[in-house]
Amino acid sequence: MIPMLETRDLAAVYGGNRALAIPHLAVAAGELVGVVGANGAGKSTLVNSLLGWSRGRPRISGEVTLAGEALSHLPSFERVRKGLLLIPEGKLVFATMSVEDNLLAVGGQLLGDRRRAYALDDIYDLFPGLKERRGHLGAQLSGGERQMLGIARALRLGPRALLLDEPSIGLAPRLVATVLATVKQLAADGLAVLLVEQNVRAAIEVVDRLVLIERGSIVAQGPAGAMRDDPRIAEAYLGAHAT
Amino acid sequence: MNLAQQLINGIVLGHAYALIAIGWTVLLGVARLVNFGHGQMYMLGAFVTWYTVSRLGLPYLVAVPAAMLAGVAVGYVMQRVMLQLTLKQDLVSIMIVTLGFGYVLNGAAALVFGSTGQILETPLSRLDIYWGDLWLTWQDVALVVAAIVFFIVLKYVIDHTAVGRTARMVAEDPPLALLAGINVKKVYLGVFAFEGAAVALAAALVAPRTPILTSMGFDEVIVTFVVVVLGGIGSVLGSYFAGLALGLFTAFFGALVSPAYTTAAAFLVMIAMLVLRPGGFAAAPGSR
Amino acid sequence: MAPALRLALIVAIAAAGLFAPALLGGTGAVYSAAVLIAIFAVMAYGLDMIVSDLGEVSLAHTVFFAIGAYAAAMLATRLGLGPVATLLGAIILAVVAAAILGVVTLRLKEFVFSLVTYAVAVVAMTVAANWEFLGGSDGLRGIPPFTLAPLGLRAETDAQLWPVAYGLLLVTLYLMHAFRRSRLGQAAVMVHLNPRLATMSGIDPKRTRLQIFLLSAPVTAAAGWLYAYQRSFVSADLLETYFLILMLTSVVLVGRRLLLGPLIGVALVQIQEKFFSFGGYVDKIVLGSVLVVVLAFLPGGLVGLGRSLVALGRRRGESVAGSMPDVRTVKD
Repeated sequence: MIPMLETRDLAAVYGGNRALAIPHLAVAAGELVGVVGANGAGKSTLVNSLLGWSRGRPRISGEVTLAGEALSHLPSFERVRKGLLLIPEGKLVFATMSVEDNLLAVGGQLLGDRRRAYALDDIYDLFPGLKERRGHLGAQLSGGERQMLGIARALRLGPRALLLDEPSIGLAPRLVATVLATVKQLAADGLAVLLVEQNVRAAIEVVDRLVLIERGSIVAQGPAGAMRDDPRIAEAYLGAHAT
Repeated sequence: MNLAQQLINGIVLGHAYALIAIGWTVLLGVARLVNFGHGQMYMLGAFVTWYTVSRLGLPYLVAVPAAMLAGVAVGYVMQRVMLQLTLKQDLVSIMIVTLGFGYVLNGAAALVFGSTGQILETPLSRLDIYWGDLWLTWQDVALVVAAIVFFIVLKYVIDHTAVGRTARMVAEDPPLALLAGINVKKVYLGVFAFEGAAVALAAALVAPRTPILTSMGFDEVIVTFVVVVLGGIGSVLGSYFAGLALGLFTAFFGALVSPAYTTAAAFLVMIAMLVLRPGGFAAAPGSR
Repeated sequence: MAPALRLALIVAIAAAGLFAPALLGGTGAVYSAAVLIAIFAVMAYGLDMIVSDLGEVSLAHTVFFAIGAYAAAMLATRLGLGPVATLLGAIILAVVAAAILGVVTLRLKEFVFSLVTYAVAVVAMTVAANWEFLGGSDGLRGIPPFTLAPLGLRAETDAQLWPVAYGLLLVTLYLMHAFRRSRLGQAAVMVHLNPRLATMSGIDPKRTRLQIFLLSAPVTAAAGWLYAYQRSFVSADLLETYFLILMLTSVVLVGRRLLLGPLIGVALVQIQEKFFSFGGYVDKIVLGSVLVVVLAFLPGGLVGLGRSLVALGRRRGESVAGSMPDVRTVKD
């Protein structure tokens, strides 16, 4: 199986401190990989570094390939156009623009060779909630709607691999389930998905494989079923008391 | 004082001001950038127009795009040089760099065009319109019409086209725009090139009203500040109305009080606004 | 070095500086360049406090410069006052103007602060060029030579004015040095680099800003005061962009927060303009380009450039050791 997204020797350095060191990580098309770990373990740094993107100014090194094509020398926006999409944590919609403008602003004109880029109607079929709010400003959306809009905007760009950074943060439990089900569906449709989640209990239900990160390094990984019984996961994240 | 004549003067002047300021409005509103070399770019636009018409003997309609092309080139080079400062959003350094650029343009223009004043004559500026005892030229009419058309087109482009949406995304959040696949650097370069073209267009249309000198540009930059601040930073429609208001103010203040102190008076109003509402800039779209 | 020795050395160098123009030929042109360098350096030091220490950019310092010059001209020609009295007048007027401007702009920061200060400079220029009280567009002429009767000093030429200009420069240098070591100077840097920490350490950022503004304005005004005597006339051209660009370039060219930085910066620009001039227009292009290039490409100035060249050389030497990827040691 050829991985859709693969990285080697990925490292990020913030002012002399190494925040990330990942010798190897790969995600296949159709695979949903969860990345879990404590606060500040480097989960966000991992997905941001795959795009060479950050709101800070880290030095990022290492190789990133998407569908066999090397991306490491490309600026973030070029990687996006190649189909590596990140839905960042925190601010992920354009607050001063309407929902429809958020979606219209990308897609179409940017795509060259194109893979499957979702048309506006496809997006509205997938997220009926967004259709109802199409005229509202990004700033007026609820947390769940913003998350949906973030994902929808990524789909407009014809993704091959999707990186989601804490999509469930701040959402009500019912919404968490909806968002994660959507993510699972996207993977089932053939995307390579890397899902950063702090909510391990919810994530482990949907992912195929789980990667545990501590202090910027991978300390454990394996199929979701096996990882459920891994003591490092069970004790720290699932709150299992010697079951 | 002839009230109706002052009203006409004010309206013409107002459209001139709005047009002079529009490049800066877009610069600040769309890219959150500033350009203190704006006045010298206006000067350059006026001289390129003059040179094309008077020295090369080409038609005015060729001179206008020639001036705009020169404006695009200067804007592009400026932004290219300070791209790193732009990406860091180091506004204070950008301000000084553009001030330096203006100074360079001033020296270069004097070197090329000489330091004597010139009159920029266009086919329209010699055609007068008399209406009772009221007077204006066809150049004035062309200026007003061009300004209105320019503002309508610009407003449409920003609100309803892919280019406009792209620019608005960069204005609001450059890092997030990168994640939407937008080449932010290219947008910055484009916006500065637009600023150059817009101010050159303004110069080609407005400069025939007065003699031109390579040392000019000071008044234009003042006018621009006032229009941009009064209009609500970065608002296209706001700029239009602010320009109009400033034009009327200038016409009537000049006629009733003193023409020498008009700019000073307008500037004091602007300072008062900035001091009373220092959040004005921070609240602009595109600020984070 | 022992403090006493150090002090002696500094005094010796300072004393030697007085004879620098004589050693460089002692011609009229040399003295005149030396006097202008000293005056413009003092002018730039006023701005240096704001830019390098406080981290803001005031574009209104040409106004303080002009206030100093106009005060000297008005008091000398209309009231017949001597240089000491006119200096006092210049300082008082500059402090008053700085207080007004400082209070008005107290809440403004960064870009908006600079915009307002620029606006003030523009308004000042319009006023100076049009107000008959200030001589209007003709300016004020006939400023008497700089005369200090008790010292037997009457400066008709730049060579005679040089000791005065040099003295003013030394006083300014001492002031800058003392300022940077003072509590106010330390507070300024803290407000600049970490306003939150400064507030938590009991520093009031607004108060600090105002104090520095009040301190910097008379420095620049003193330069204007002496410039009026040097030129023997003043006019609205004192508010022209040239002085602003000269000040800004001098402050950033060599490097920030270096005691001799602005002096060397002014000297480089003046020497080019006086002795290696390409004509006024090209000189403008040169000066403007230097400002642009330094800010866009050399944020640390010439000193910063030197430092990074040294660092680059060093890094090259040890590149083999540095490139070992220790990432590999991480266990998968």
